[in-house]
Amino acid sequence: MTVKWLYYWQPSIGVTMSSQTLSIAIKRIEALHGVKTSRWQITASQFRPNQREPVPLVECARELLGVVFSEVPDKYYFALRQEHMVVEADATMQAIMEKLQVYRNRLTILFEGFQYELGDFHIKAGRAVLAHTENLRGIVLEVDYKPLSSVEQSRRVVQDFMEVWQKGETTGQFVPLDPNFSEFNLPDLYSWQHTALQYVTLMAFVFSQQRT
Amino acid sequence: MSRRLDMSLCISCTFCGIPGYRISLSIVLGVLDLVTQHVDALEVLLQGLCGGLRETIKVHEICLKTGPNLGAVASEVHLCCSLSQPEPVWSVRHVGGAMRGAGADQLPALVRPVLEAGISNNSLRFMYSLGYKLDYEMLRTGFSFQLHKTVPIAVTITISVTAVHRLPKIHAVDDPQPVTPGLQMVQVSAPASPDNYSEVVGAISGLAEYLAPLVHLSKPGVPAGIVPTASTAAAALVSRGGITKVL
Repeated sequence: MTVKWLYYWQPSIGVTMSSQTLSIAIKRIEALHGVKTSRWQITASQFRPNQREPVPLVECARELLGVVFSEVPDKYYFALRQEHMVVEADATMQAIMEKLQVYRNRLTILFEGFQYELGDFHIKAGRAVLAHTENLRGIVLEVDYKPLSSVEQSRRVVQDFMEVWQKGETTGQFVPLDPNFSEFNLPDLYSWQHTALQYVTLMAFVFSQQRT
Repeated sequence: MSRRLDMSLCISCTFCGIPGYRISLSIVLGVLDLVTQHVDALEVLLQGLCGGLRETIKVHEICLKTGPNLGAVASEVHLCCSLSQPEPVWSVRHVGGAMRGAGADQLPALVRPVLEAGISNNSLRFMYSLGYKLDYEMLRTGFSFQLHKTVPIAVTITISVTAVHRLPKIHAVDDPQPVTPGLQMVQVSAPASPDNYSEVVGAISGLAEYLAPLVHLSKPGVPAGIVPTASTAAAALVSRGGITKVL
């Protein structure tokens, strides 16, 4: 599996983020003869422990994060950030968690848009919206350089590409999301578990942005 | 003289409201007198019936319960670690309450919802982090066969014969002790859907008839007793199967 790099839109001071940003990004991709291939959707959720009584406080993770990818519908990924853990499970695990009722879904973010092929680059361009609303929380890009599966080599190529690609943009820029794979005991070989960690980190970032 | 134990036949029905998931139906338990010859005889019988490969079972089953105050109600979940392959394979299993009502009473077995999901090997630490505590654990060892039926319905039935062991120290699977020395469990299970579970019950009950020379299966709480002619049947099967044993 090749490495995916996430970028989130940081508007310049005084500029408001809007869907227009996404349209501009897509136009830039298409101007370089990027070919639209498919839709994509990633659903990221935040869960909190379901305590019967407010006290005593249950000894458990205060936050559980979950991700499902439209490209991998038979799997569900969990992450516990404080505990530095990423768990991969069959999608039935969602049904099990619903039966157990130990954690309640508090918030869900949908990352959705279109995927483009731009030579050796596969780019997902889309927006982050709060589920069941049109509440736009972010504009995101996912860039995947297909010929390289090494994390470090791929990072350099993608960084160079992004620098060139968004040169001259004044309303803001796409900022890379720094992954923290080693803190989570993830293997060196990139996998969907790594991608899950990136998207839950992005979700947490998107939530934190809204508060400021 | 073999011990008599309450035998139970139980059909577990997996139900999942998420579209695309299948219901899994399983029937449980006769108790087989573990004179080694009888287990061998059952294996011969199953080999003849199913014709397929014998699968080895070695599963470390960890039963977890919620700590106090967690969840709408207290809950229980099982983590299963299959040790029969070179790499351990983990799964999570949730068994729900039995189906009730006049329809359920008519069935020769108990119907319960069961959900199972494969999970990565950090699942125990994950469940502890979610507030679950170790309730008990065990090691199940044995074997299973699969029977693929097409008439009257297409169904794959799995028959397993296992012994249950306790672990003297936490997670110490290398030193298991049998819970019921001399006895093993026979379990018959098959996937089904809400539309066809009664036909699958029929298919499984039909298969149970074939096992009757060696073991009776019955509904939970209804003692079935041992098969009085089991020894004779076992001897016949074993000699036919080419295994030489001293009676």
